Amino acid sequence: MDILAGLGQGFAVALQPINLLYCFIGVFIGTLVGVLPGIGPVSAMSLLLPVTLSGTPESGIIMMAGIYYGSMYGGSTTSILVNIPGEAASVVTCIDGHEMARQGRAGPALGMSALASFAAGTFAIIALSLVAPTLARVAVAFGPPEYFSLMLLGLTILSFLSQGSMAKALLMAAVGVVLGLIGMDQITAQARLTFDRLELLDGIGLVPIVMGLFGVAEILSNLDRELKREVIKARIGGLWPSLADWTAAKWAILRGTVLGFFLGILPGGGAVIASFASYAMEKKLADRPERFGKGAIEGVAGPEAANNAAAGGAFIPLMTLGIPPNVVMALLLGAFIIHGLQPGPLMMTQRPDLFWGIVASMYIGNAMLLVLNMPLIGMWVQVLKLPYRILFPLILMFCIVGVFASGNAVFDVFVMVLFGVLGYLMRKFGYEPAPLVLAFVLGPMLENNLRKSLILSQGDFTIFVERPISAVCLVLAAAALAAPLLPALARRRARLAADQT
Amino acid sequence: MIRNSELWGGLFWLAIGAFVIWAGRDMGLGRLHQPGSGFAFYWIGILMCALALGVIGQALVSGGPPLASLWAGTRWPKVLAVIGLLLVYGVGFEAIGFIPCTLALLLALMWFVDPVDWRLAIVVAVVATFGVWAALTKWLKIQLPAGLLADILG
Repeated sequence: MDILAGLGQGFAVALQPINLLYCFIGVFIGTLVGVLPGIGPVSAMSLLLPVTLSGTPESGIIMMAGIYYGSMYGGSTTSILVNIPGEAASVVTCIDGHEMARQGRAGPALGMSALASFAAGTFAIIALSLVAPTLARVAVAFGPPEYFSLMLLGLTILSFLSQGSMAKALLMAAVGVVLGLIGMDQITAQARLTFDRLELLDGIGLVPIVMGLFGVAEILSNLDRELKREVIKARIGGLWPSLADWTAAKWAILRGTVLGFFLGILPGGGAVIASFASYAMEKKLADRPERFGKGAIEGVAGPEAANNAAAGGAFIPLMTLGIPPNVVMALLLGAFIIHGLQPGPLMMTQRPDLFWGIVASMYIGNAMLLVLNMPLIGMWVQVLKLPYRILFPLILMFCIVGVFASGNAVFDVFVMVLFGVLGYLMRKFGYEPAPLVLAFVLGPMLENNLRKSLILSQGDFTIFVERPISAVCLVLAAAALAAPLLPALARRRARLAADQT
Repeated sequence: MIRNSELWGGLFWLAIGAFVIWAGRDMGLGRLHQPGSGFAFYWIGILMCALALGVIGQALVSGGPPLASLWAGTRWPKVLAVIGLLLVYGVGFEAIGFIPCTLALLLALMWFVDPVDWRLAIVVAVVATFGVWAALTKWLKIQLPAGLLADILG
């Protein structure tokens, strides 16, 4: 009953004309950045973070959330029509989606992708409405040791699930924590690693780091080799999948939805992992696995359902615990913070309008996305034809403007360039930026909770294992760390990394 | 072995880790019941060094791609040009102003780095620069440096 009352309150907020407009802008931009290769939800949300300041907190956050789940829809269009993923979570859709397009079945592939996304997105929002209030009640009992251990678990899982070397991913997480701690110590007011630069006293901004590592580095990587894009020229035709398509895809959608939702909740998980896991599962369960890679519609439906369900599930740790499970949610946390809000267990009681307003806006946004992605598919195909040589100067300009507007300082532009070069080199040397950015956001919270725990326990580290929730998190983190030492798991992880590459 | 890119990557992070350890000690470690400002830095620095040694060890045992292979086929003049243009843009941004700097940056990127038709480049650069300037300053009330055009823009 509380949930229904909350949702009613939420719809009253989400249906306000200004919030409907922000929701539409969010899902539109999300679809656009999903469609365009070379700019993803992380860059777009960083870019628009300062824009959220011009409206109310709910409007800004509704827009940011819309960009995220909107990009999950848009990414598949590029994967299917061009064989280049619009964003990382659509990588796996290229395999069978593009093959279907080559066989003249681009329409059903696009239609199935949009409908599976809609079904999974709707399921995830309903599950979010049901699970979040319960989890928030439990989370009230969390103290510094629990928060510390949970964040440690998130970073460990993210590193475990990263492509390639786990040592490198953990190394990046450690670098991220160090970067996050630069600036004035909140307890002793001592300047830390500021090199006597006044600009660093408040720490390095999240936006320049993200725009550098994801925006500029992506452009540099795309420029350093010839980017071949060939949009399918055949007529797209009817988008509605046939009865045979539905029969083949229905269980894939269901399995992808449930799997994606739980992987989305998992700290360190997310849409990318969910889509790969769903594809692997469908291939394993298929009667004729040899069809995969040759235009199997389950290979489109499962991963697309999974990445959208994961996008919904990822809101749960942020909204109930105040802990972002992935980089995109870290940016959303940034949006909350610049509005003076702290997501977490108390948000549901202190700002129910905001919490339920965001949830309700996701129902509305999901319906908007279906309209944007089914009848307007022709428009997105035109967008895809925009040459990259025109697109990349514009993306660079938006990066600069976004970074400058976030802090009103040219210093941040130089920080962005520095991290752009670092990100480019990291890609060359096989180091992933995602653990770095998540650790950068979690770093100050991690240190704060570690110090509080040690002060509470008079320097006794057993406080982390005496508390059950903290102990469970640490055991899981230790298991994730030890897993690569087991040969079978190491082989499985290497195979996943190879698939992702 | 000396050309192994994994080895060099590991050595780089080992040096950074060592610096973080030193910085942490310098800031003060405090006591376990009252951790100081450098406590977290010190232990994370140690973790970084341990992980970097792991990467180095792996490189020594299993090898890794040679440094040169990372740059094979790379169109590095374009990459260097973009980095250089961004740095020049940053230097001139406040003094020269958003509009002239952005116009120049966009034209340079579209004329020299990855060329498009020069007329199209002019149209895109002018529309994008003035469009963004109007949206930010008039609609979102975000201040952008006027620079050389301060008298004209007010």
